[in-house]
Amino acid sequence: MTDLSVVGFLGLSSALLAVGIFGVLTRRNFILLLISIEIAMNAAILNFVYFAGFLGGTSGLTGQAIAVVLIGFAATEVAVGLGIVLALNRAKGTINVAQATELRL
Amino acid sequence: MDLQSFAGPFVPEIVLLAATLLVFLLDVVRVRDNEIVGAVALGSVVLALLLVLADLGFAPLAVLATVPSSSIDASVTGAPLYSFTSLGLVFQGLFLLAALLVCLASLSRPKDERGAPIFYGLLLLATLGMVLVAIASDLIFLLLAIELVSVPTYLLVAYSRRDARALEAAMKFYIIGALSTTLSFFGASLLYGAYGTTNLHALATAEAAAGTAGYPVLVLLGYGFLIAGLAFKATLVPFHAWAVDVYDGAPTDVTAFLAGGSKKVGLFAFFLVFLAPILFVRTMASGSPFVTGSVAVGPVLQITLAFLAVVTMTLGNVLALLQKEMKRMLAYSSISQAGYMLIGIAVGTAPALAGATLQILAHVLMKTGAFLVVGAVAALGVGPLIDDYKGLGQKRPLLGVAFGLMLLSLAGVPLTVGFVSKFVLFSAAVQAKGYFVWLAVAGLLNSALSVFYYARVLKVLFFDVAEPRALATGAVVGGSEPEILPVGGLGYGRAAAIALVAVVVVVLGVYPQPVLGAIQNAAQHFVNLGG
Repeated sequence: MTDLSVVGFLGLSSALLAVGIFGVLTRRNFILLLISIEIAMNAAILNFVYFAGFLGGTSGLTGQAIAVVLIGFAATEVAVGLGIVLALNRAKGTINVAQATELRL
Repeated sequence: MDLQSFAGPFVPEIVLLAATLLVFLLDVVRVRDNEIVGAVALGSVVLALLLVLADLGFAPLAVLATVPSSSIDASVTGAPLYSFTSLGLVFQGLFLLAALLVCLASLSRPKDERGAPIFYGLLLLATLGMVLVAIASDLIFLLLAIELVSVPTYLLVAYSRRDARALEAAMKFYIIGALSTTLSFFGASLLYGAYGTTNLHALATAEAAAGTAGYPVLVLLGYGFLIAGLAFKATLVPFHAWAVDVYDGAPTDVTAFLAGGSKKVGLFAFFLVFLAPILFVRTMASGSPFVTGSVAVGPVLQITLAFLAVVTMTLGNVLALLQKEMKRMLAYSSISQAGYMLIGIAVGTAPALAGATLQILAHVLMKTGAFLVVGAVAALGVGPLIDDYKGLGQKRPLLGVAFGLMLLSLAGVPLTVGFVSKFVLFSAAVQAKGYFVWLAVAGLLNSALSVFYYARVLKVLFFDVAEPRALATGAVVGGSEPEILPVGGLGYGRAAAIALVAVVVVVLGVYPQPVLGAIQNAAQHFVNLGG
């Protein structure tokens, strides 16, 4: 774990995750929220790819397979999100999350 | 391996998938009658439930069993993606029960309401995901199955596409759900990096052998992210804030499915992911096998889950006390009930697991039933506030009594299933000694606290004077023209679902032995297998 490349890669994916979560917390435009969620999801995918190379062998192949599946999954999830954006825009004329205040928190 | 022996055990899943495709196909060929599509959905769910009951060894249905009994509770070899455990089959039954109640009640929705095939199709797809969660034995398989539940339920909340409140709920549900998914996958990636496998059993074995040796940060962070991600799905405090808004804004039948069905998916994921490390540590407690400098994951998880359980039930109950709207009150009560269920996992003995499972069964019945009643009452033109329910018990005695029974059961009054489940759960926590006794004490105090707000609703139902405008019409809102349904405006399906819940709540409260025995047996097998 003291290997610099491991620390560097985990630092990269942690930074991506942090950027994504920060975006979800601060952005008020639904499309930008979707992009933020994607960035955070890519941190997890990148981890799988990196650990696959790090582990090598059969368990490395598992990680590569998971990464491919997750890329497909992330795409379907965004498609559903875009569907909700479209319906929301049609019903309320805005995709600003801050204006969604009919349900109190 | 030939097709039959491979696909044979999956007949319930295949039935659900085929029905999903059929329902969406009906939409394409413009058969959109609520009753026709609903009958297809209900039929497939009932068939799948019968098949699962047969697999569980329910004697009258033995002919239908599809999973060979030798592969149920078989010890794990290799790193399979799925395996059949009797506890998993019990949970398949619970999930299908929730779907059945919602399908049955939805039969009585207005004939000309738009989107019936979409509603039932998404419901069946989410049910398929729930059934797959129950047989998962690989972390990635589990998380993807949870997504097969989550993604259709995001859309289910917004299926009407017109209702701005529902769309807002769907938006919040989607953002929080997608973020929690990301956290779960990130946690899974860290565990994969530390141990080189995603199989739950192999992960637990590796932990038992090495603890967190070498990678303490990876392992503990991995479990931390998994707890956070799954706690969102299971509505545990402090990851609960979305649930109340979503339960409030969603159409009430969908809320019944979310609270009664899909949130149990998160709880069962807690069973699968966190129980194995807890159990492994217990079996190795004497003569610690852990490498110097490593941390045993199990005790850390137990403390964390116990803490989450206490916080969840206390905060859920306190906030439920403060609510004025029926749906939000029930939503907070649902959050607090998740805290009770978590006790069983934190304790981690077979009796405690049986108690948690029975509590989940009770909650599926009570909460689905309660939200179906709320939906029925709203369709009768009664407002959303608790005070709007004044005199319901006098004007509609049967509906009032059914609702009252569900509330009594939620409060844990004897002779209802809610009492039996809490009794089994708390006594298991006391037997486990240590700080688990305090978990039982916290649970009992919380049960006492919860009686206040359930009793307040009972008082409103039966002892307050009705306002003259309440329950006047019996007309169904939402259709293009008012339509009077049979059974006092409820419709046959919804009346049948509510009556079924009320009867089962009492029957299981008076005579729980057969079901309790089966669940205890399943929990014992689950513990013997090491999670």
